[in-house]
Order: sequence, then C-alpha cells, then structure tokens
Amino acid sequence: MQANYVSGGCGISLMTLLQINVHQSETGLFGTPIPDLFDHMFQAGLTPYEKKKYVWKMLYIYMLGYDVDFGHMEAVSLISAPKYPEKQVGYLVTSTLLNENHDFLRLAINTVRNDIIGRNETFQCLALTLVGNIGGREFAESLAPDVQKLLISSSCRPLVRKKAALCLLRLFRKNPDVVNVDGWSDRMTQLLDERDLGVLTSSVSLLVALVSNNHDSYLSCLPKCVKILERLARNQDVPQEYTYYGIPSPWLQVKTMRALQYFPTIEDPNTRRSLFEVLQRILMGTDVVKNVNKNNASHAVLFEALALVMHLDAEKEMMSQCVALLGKFIVVREPNIRYLGLENMTRMLMVMDVQDIIKRHQAQIITSLKDPDISIRRRALDLLYSMCDISNAKDIVEELLQYLSTADFAMREELSLKAAILAEKFAPDLSWYVDVILQLIDKAGDFVSDDIWFRVVQFVTNNEDLQPYAALKAREYLDKPAIHETMVKVSAYILGEYSHLLNRRPGCSPKEIFSIIHEKFPTVSTSTVAILLSTYAKILMHTQPPDPELQNQIWEIFTKYESCIDVEIQQRAAEYFALSRKGAALMDILAEMPKFPERQSSLIKKAEDTEADTAEQSAIKLRTQQQTSNALVLTDQHPANGTTPVGPLSLVKMPSMNNVDHNLADQGVAQANGTLTVVDPQPPGPSANVIGDLLGSLAIGGPPGTATQTEHNSGSGLGGAPDTEDALAIAPIEEHTNTVQPIGDIAERFLALCLKDSGVLYEDPHIQIGIKADWRGHHGQLVLFLGNKNTAPLVAVQALILPPAHLRMELSLVPETIPPRAQVQCPLEVVNLRPSRDVAVLDFSYKFGTQVFNFKLRLPATLNKFLQLITVSAEDFFPQWRSLSGPPLKLQEVVRGVRPMSLVEMANLFNSFRLIVCPGLDPNANNVVASTTFYSESTRAMLCLVRIETDPADRTQLRMTVASGDPTLTFELKEFIKEQLISIPTASRAPSPVPPHTQPMGPPQAQPSSSPAAVSDPGAILAGLL
Amino acid sequence: MIRAVIVMNDQGKPRLVKFYDYQPVEKQQELIRTIYGVLCSRAENLSNFIQADSIFGPDARLVYKTYATLYFVFIFDSSENELAMLDLVQVFVEILDKCFSNVCELDIVFNFNKVHTILDEIILGGQVLETSSSEVVKAVEEISKLDRASNGSMLVPKSISGWTSR
Repeated sequence: MQANYVSGGCGISLMTLLQINVHQSETGLFGTPIPDLFDHMFQAGLTPYEKKKYVWKMLYIYMLGYDVDFGHMEAVSLISAPKYPEKQVGYLVTSTLLNENHDFLRLAINTVRNDIIGRNETFQCLALTLVGNIGGREFAESLAPDVQKLLISSSCRPLVRKKAALCLLRLFRKNPDVVNVDGWSDRMTQLLDERDLGVLTSSVSLLVALVSNNHDSYLSCLPKCVKILERLARNQDVPQEYTYYGIPSPWLQVKTMRALQYFPTIEDPNTRRSLFEVLQRILMGTDVVKNVNKNNASHAVLFEALALVMHLDAEKEMMSQCVALLGKFIVVREPNIRYLGLENMTRMLMVMDVQDIIKRHQAQIITSLKDPDISIRRRALDLLYSMCDISNAKDIVEELLQYLSTADFAMREELSLKAAILAEKFAPDLSWYVDVILQLIDKAGDFVSDDIWFRVVQFVTNNEDLQPYAALKAREYLDKPAIHETMVKVSAYILGEYSHLLNRRPGCSPKEIFSIIHEKFPTVSTSTVAILLSTYAKILMHTQPPDPELQNQIWEIFTKYESCIDVEIQQRAAEYFALSRKGAALMDILAEMPKFPERQSSLIKKAEDTEADTAEQSAIKLRTQQQTSNALVLTDQHPANGTTPVGPLSLVKMPSMNNVDHNLADQGVAQANGTLTVVDPQPPGPSANVIGDLLGSLAIGGPPGTATQTEHNSGSGLGGAPDTEDALAIAPIEEHTNTVQPIGDIAERFLALCLKDSGVLYEDPHIQIGIKADWRGHHGQLVLFLGNKNTAPLVAVQALILPPAHLRMELSLVPETIPPRAQVQCPLEVVNLRPSRDVAVLDFSYKFGTQVFNFKLRLPATLNKFLQLITVSAEDFFPQWRSLSGPPLKLQEVVRGVRPMSLVEMANLFNSFRLIVCPGLDPNANNVVASTTFYSESTRAMLCLVRIETDPADRTQLRMTVASGDPTLTFELKEFIKEQLISIPTASRAPSPVPPHTQPMGPPQAQPSSSPAAVSDPGAILAGLL
Repeated sequence: MIRAVIVMNDQGKPRLVKFYDYQPVEKQQELIRTIYGVLCSRAENLSNFIQADSIFGPDARLVYKTYATLYFVFIFDSSENELAMLDLVQVFVEILDKCFSNVCELDIVFNFNKVHTILDEIILGGQVLETSSSEVVKAVEEISKLDRASNGSMLVPKSISGWTSR
C-alpha cells in the first residue's frame, strides 16, 4: 500500500472523510452522506473547486449503485465552465452518467460544438471524447462535418485526430447518412497512409464500421490495408512505443485483418499474393513462449490471421496448415490458447469442409470435455456438437452420456439437449435413439425437457418395429429402485400402449406390469398421475380375457380418484371407470394411438433458432447463412397404396429453406459431404404443437384418431369442405392461364373465406392450399396449409406475398419442396396499419414434373377481418352519433341500384361482417343501425357507427350514413358496405356487368368484384335471382 | 465494440465501472454482481474467458484478469479479438502502474478520477483509442499539468495540486 496518497483534490476530501481503513465499507463514507451531498450541491455560491469535488463524489456513489439524477444538471453545467479542470470534470462525468437520449445533453450541445470548432486542442479532445461516448442522432447531424474536418486536418495533433476518428465512428453508427460515401471513400483511403500508428489504429476502426455497412465503396482501401499489414509484419517504421512485447502493434494488425474480412474477396492477384505472404509468415512464425503476455499478443494476431485465411477460402494447402495449427493449440498448456483453438475449430467447421481433418482430433477434443475450466469444457461441447455426423454420432453421443453423470450442473441442461438433438439427427437406427434418450432421462432426468420425451414417444408410436423394443426397455428401467419422474411418465406411456406386445416374456404379464408401475404411483405429481390412469385403462383393455382381480384393483383406483381435487384426474378417473365397464366397446375407444403427424423436431428447431441468434454478425456469418442447413429431420412415408411403411426412417435430401435459389452450388457441396437429410413435411410450426398433440392424445377422444387420420391423409388440416361439385366452374379472376384447372371456384372460395376463418383457398389436382386465420385486434395470424396431393414431390415451390400498402405481412419461409402426400404449414403474420379496402395477393408457383404452374390468389385479409363485435346501447350510441357531426368523420350517401333484400337479410348480411345490428335503436322500423370496432395500428380501436335508411317502396335505393373517429376509416367503411350492398353474386351468373358504383379513391387493385355476403346468404342469392 | 470495463476487488466491490452502452444503474449493479458470482468461483490457472451470453445477451464475450486483489473485466462483442482485449487489459494495468508507480487497490480508490481520465485515453466510445502506454501516459500528464496550472491561479487557500504531487 502506498503511504503518500496525500494528494490534492478529491484525494484529500476523501481522506478527511474517511480517516479509516478503506476496507471498511464505503457506505459509511459515501452512502449516508447522499443527503448532505445533495444539500451541498444546491448551496448557492459554491466555489468551482467545491462543485468539482461534489461532482466527482457523485460519480463515485453512482458507481456504488446509487441513483444520482439530482446531480446531472450540475455535471452538465460544468461543461460550460471556462476553466479546464471544471470543464474536464463536467465532460467526463457527464459522459459516464448520462445516456444519449438524456434531455440535459441538448443544453450542452452548443458548448460542445464551440469547443470542437474552437482553437483549444485540449477542449477539442474533451468534447470529442464526450461525443464519441454518448453522442446521439442530434449530435450526429450537427457535428459530423466539424469532426470530419478535424480528422483530415493536417495541422491537428495526432491526439485530436485519433479521437476525431472514433468520434466520427460513433456518429456514423447513430446516423449513417452523416458520412457521404462518395466524398469520404477517397479521404478514408488517404487516412490509411497515416504514419502515426495511434491515428492509424483509430482510422482502421472507423474503416471497419464503414466497410461492414458498404464494402463496395471502400474497395480502394483494400490494398492499403494489405500495405499496413506488410509494414507491421516486416516491422518497418514501427516506433518503439508501439511495439508490445516485441510485436509491432498487435491491435492494429488484428484490426486491419478484421477490416479485410468484411471484403468478400480479393480479386487483384498481386494484392492477394502479398497478403498471403504476410499471412503465411504469421502462421509459421508464431511459437508458444514462456511469457504469457507475449503469448497472448502473438496469438491474438495468429488467430485473427486464421480467421482471415478461413474467410479468404485459401488454397487447400494453407487450410490444412491451419487445421494442423489448431490441432496443436488444443493440446498446449496455455488455457487461453486451448480455448481459442477449440472455438476456432468450431468456427472453421461452419465455413468449410474440414470435417474429416478435424475428426482426427476427436479423441483430444473429448479429453477437453474433462478440462478443469468450464469455459473450455463448453467450447469442447460446442465443437463436438458441430463436428458430429452420421459416422461418429454413436461415439460422440455415448461420450456425452458418460460425461453427463460427472458434468457440473451448469452444463447438464445444455449437454442433455445437445445429446438428444444429435441422437435424433444422426441416429443410425432408431433403437439406438430410444436407448440414448432413456439413458439421458435416467442420468439427468431433471434436465430433460418435456420436448425430449414427447419426441421419443412420437417415434415409438410411428414405428411399429420399434414398439416391442421400447416397451422392453421401459420395462427394464422400471426395475431400477429409484427412477426419475420423467422416466415414470415415458415408461408408463409406452407400456400402456405396447406392453401387450411383451406378453409372453417373463415378468411382463399385465398384472406384473401394473404392479410395477403402480409402485411409483404414490410418489409422482399430478401430471404423471393423469398419465398413469390412462396407462391403467389401457392395460385393462389389453387384458383379454379380463382378469377380475386386476380389474378390481384398477377400478378401485379409478373410484378413489373420481373425487380427486384435480379436475383433469377426476375426469379421467370417472371416464375410464365408466368406459371400462362397457366391456368390448372399450376396445374401440382405447385402441392404440394413431400415428402422429410428422413435423420437424421442436428440439432441432430450437437449436437452429439459437444458432441463428448467436451467430456472429460478420462476414463469416453472412457466408454461413448462405449455406444450406443440413438439419436432419424426419419424414413420414405414407402408404400411398395401402402398403405398410418399409423402413422406420426414410432418408431424403432436403434443400435448405433459405436462400434456396442463390446457392445451388453450395448445395452441391453440402450433398457431397455425405450428410444425410431427412425431409420433414412440416416446416417449423409452433413448437407447442408437439406437446398439444401428445397431451391431447393422452386423453381419450372419440373413435380413436379417425379424425386425425383422415385429415392427415387428405393432406389438408382444415375443416373447410372442398366443394368439388363446382369443379367445372372456372373463375379466371386474376389467374394466369396454366394447364391445370383449379378445382372449385376460386372467387367463391375467397368470398367464403372473407366470412369464415378457415377453409380451402385453392385446390387443383396437385396441390391444395388451405388457410386458417386467427384475428385479434389489428393483428392476424394466418397459417397457409400447402398440401401435396401427389405421390411425387412438388418442387420449386415459391410463395410471394404482394401486400397492399396498409398491411404489413410476413410470411415465414416456404420450403422449396413439398414431399409426396405431405402437408406444409406456413405461418403468415398480418398487421393492419390503416383502414383500406385493398386486398393482399399471394403469388404462388410450383413445379410438378417438368411443368411450372403459377397463379395469384387473393388472401382473405379484408377490411371486415379487423372489425370486432361491440354492442352499443341507446345511451352510448346517440351521444357518439351526435358528436361525430358531418364530413369527413360522418359521411352520407344515397345508394342506388342496391340488390333488393329484406331488412332481415340486410341485418344478417351486416352481422356476418361483424357489423352488429342494434335492433330498436332507431324508432323508424325501416332503418337499420349497426356498430362495430375497427382495429388498426394507426387508429387503434375505433368505434364505427352505421345507419341505413331504406325506402319500403323502392328496395333498390337507400341512404347510408357512416361515422367514425377517423376520416379514412369512415370513407373506406362506407365504400366497403356499399360494395356489399350493390354487388351481385358472380358464381352462378357468369360475367355480370360491373356494378354501377364508382371508386373515387384507392387503387382498384384486387378489388373484390363480387360480394362475399352474396354467397353466404342464401336469402340474398335467392333475392338476387328473383 | 467494447461494451463495458469493470474493475472490482475480490469482495465484489466495484472500483471502476464504465459502460459504453448505457445501462440503468440498477442493471449495472446486477451485472456486476452476476459477474462477481462467476469470477469468484473460478480457480487459478484457468483460461481468462467466460461465457457471457447468459449475462450480457448473445454475442457478448468477457475476458478478465486478476491482479492481486483486483479483477479487471472487459466485456465486448464479437467484432473484437479476445486475446487483443486481454492484451488491452494488460496495457491498462501497465499504464496504471506507471502513473501510480506500483499501483494498488487504494490508489484506484483514492485517485478514482485519475483512473477515469486514464481509461478515457485508452478507450473511446467502446473502441480502442491508444495502445501505446507511453502515449497514454504523455496525454494524462498533459491533462494533469493543465489541471495544476489552472488550479495554481485559483484563489483557493489549500493546495489542490491534482495528480502529479506523488
């Protein structure tokens, strides 16, 4: 400890207050005097010195976790102090305490600007530091030109210029427009000729930010970067103070190589050659030495060089040299280098085909799983996970399982998840997969999420060959003295379904199975009790002829739980009890569960999602994204003609879902890798579905699974009945001619979907497109169901949404291929921004055989979908109605040529659009009054009121008044209702004359020319026909 | 970009905290506590890296170095090189050492203002500003000189001669 800390300034003030050992809590020093400090700060007549002192103290207590907003103003006001010491404190404290959006910063912006353009270099430095730390958009707009001037000025000292460079970087990040690309790229190139290494370091940082945004414009900087690297690598003209442990500025070397990684390639052969010479030198010339700091510095450069080599796609030779180096690193003593070696191997796997070379180090990587350092163990786990493929999956997964029992708790969850994913992705055979998952549950039950055991149940259910094996395994685990509850769940489920397959084995009679399961009964939680009850019911059903003793035992349990406090259990107990007394009828109801519809594993999806989240935002990432995802997922092979599925798993190649058309070449590479991909007909749907399915099916439904089965087989998950009788009615609205005839009338289907939320949107001999929608306020969640009706795959599937201006729509990725007889779900998010009647269009195309089919479909995201019911009483209605007086909020129009309809029909029509008719509000019986709420982002929930005055003598005309709080909404709603009232159904009367209404506003694109109501309302159709 | 620099002692008391992306004060304290919880359980002779994405969100990395009773922690994102950051920690400490001749925890507590000034000469807005220790020391001395010069002309009775009286 130093004796002479008797310095001035704060030191003294702290000392006087302290007078004790500093290790005694500071709260005694800084914590309690906050009120004092507060008082002090607002005393009048403080000397600048005192002010300065209090502001420093404030920063200190802020660091200790106290809010000091009472002093923000003081700190900011010090910025405009004339003397340097106060100014310095003001600047420094402000830039630590405030964030860029703080209002007080506005007060300082003028002073800051004056300091920057002033002549005083020390003031310039202070101001640049503040702006570089917390400058926001406002600063960017007002200061960027001045900062640029400082950076390129030849008269400024390096101290100012390097700060200006980083300050400009900050401003650029806040508002990229402040750097004019055309003018600045030349300047940037010149800046890289700088001799002063301090300025150069900052400039390269600036370059990295600029290039990551737009590399094309800064191509001229590329050779300069290589020059800088050459200068440093050869140690030419590097001043002593920039040599760090004998290495010429490792930071600058690293930054320069980082900048180079943002350029896609280096085309100029000369530049490329000299760069590779430098890189070669770095790769070869770095050794592990005794001095830790020197090691760190030299390896910082080396690892960056490795990253650059990977990025540049160097020659095979150089690559294998890199892998060899990494192989060396993962065994060195220095933990940092081991860590980075493993990490870089993982990264290398992501970008190129080095799997085979890395596999040679597998044993060493597995050893790293036992490293004393958890950081290294994690990296080793990551690497094992990414290097796993079908050839080494067994080894790696078994290694992970073994490690699971000794792993620390912090890692177990990740470990078990990864083991489960790998087992699923690369299972050489399914019985092995079942083994792995059961072991996993056995060893780390607490860390096995529900997804994992649901998945194993799905596999077993869908693969008949597997069922006896799984049942046997489950039975074996039950013999263990203490097993995890998850194990109880999964074995009870499997045994309930399949224990009859084991009948002839010793210890596997229904009675024995029951008793061994029932042993666990007292210790399990309610959710497991529910599963066990189902199991008992199933055991009972499988015991033929019935065993009276077993029956009584089980009935006793059912009777006992009929009065359970948990509703689920109570219901199950009561129903099972009643059912099991029905004798033979039980067989039908409790028959084996049907196969689950296949879908992508929620685990794999989860893994992919997190990968997407964490992958780094760099050139490397961009390239990885372009590569195909080789995820293995499972397909179901539906017996197209009654034959049973042959193999449990069929392996099919699936092209990636993203960027499909841009990287056929990449795909080729991926295929050549020999990784197998299994197609999953269901694209990522909500992962909760898996759970829903399983839990749903655990309870007894009606006749088992018929609904699911038919639904699945027909390739449509929808309730909408395809009306095939209309097969010949072709509605060529907005449709490209193609050789395939749609089944059903597209326009009619659209109109029907305007009124209901699910149904078939389109169907032809190859494909059926269904839609299911859920509307909440101004949000809509649609799911497109794309069902392939053929036994051959549909390829080159493309779906493009052409949204109108008022809708924001986001369609999740549509797979390029739809496997035979499979159905794919594509969620589509809709947000309604403002009122409008325009309709979104889906541009859909696919290829079947050699023919390409393309058609455009209107999507039923119409104005009325964003309406919601509201009932308005007379007391509410009239004040509202009166307060909205006259245009533009209240519009009135006399409509002629109305399709004649009775008042009841009209009311029905309105109600079907969720414009709720309020009977009795209007004293005149010939009038209809309706109300609704409209939702959009701009209007939020908005009440709309409608009044229709009809003329009993002439039903073809009426007067309509629409009112709402938003002029556009009023207009759009009025036009929308008018369209519904005057249009005539087109379905049966082919080319009807365009209804005589005019559309004064809004683009006519995709306007429904016929009325949805007409179809839905038989009365109206009849009226129209008469 | 460097997201934060934290110096704390082996009891988890913060000695220097600077966040380059703004965090509210409660969040800062929470982060410091979490980091301390991880650091204090680590043995010696392990790597200097810690998985930080659970603490700071995806893409975050953390290096730390222990000097006597102090942890020096740098948090940054993937645009920085881990080992280069570790070198920067070393440079920071070497500079402190030069400025306080054989720096100890108390120096940092009592000259907390000066430590801030030094840090501002090394890192600006989350980017490395200067890596040469002699350049930084030069800049800091210049600031001290200005401080002194200006204080000298003030009519404050006691001597408040700033940094360089040591």
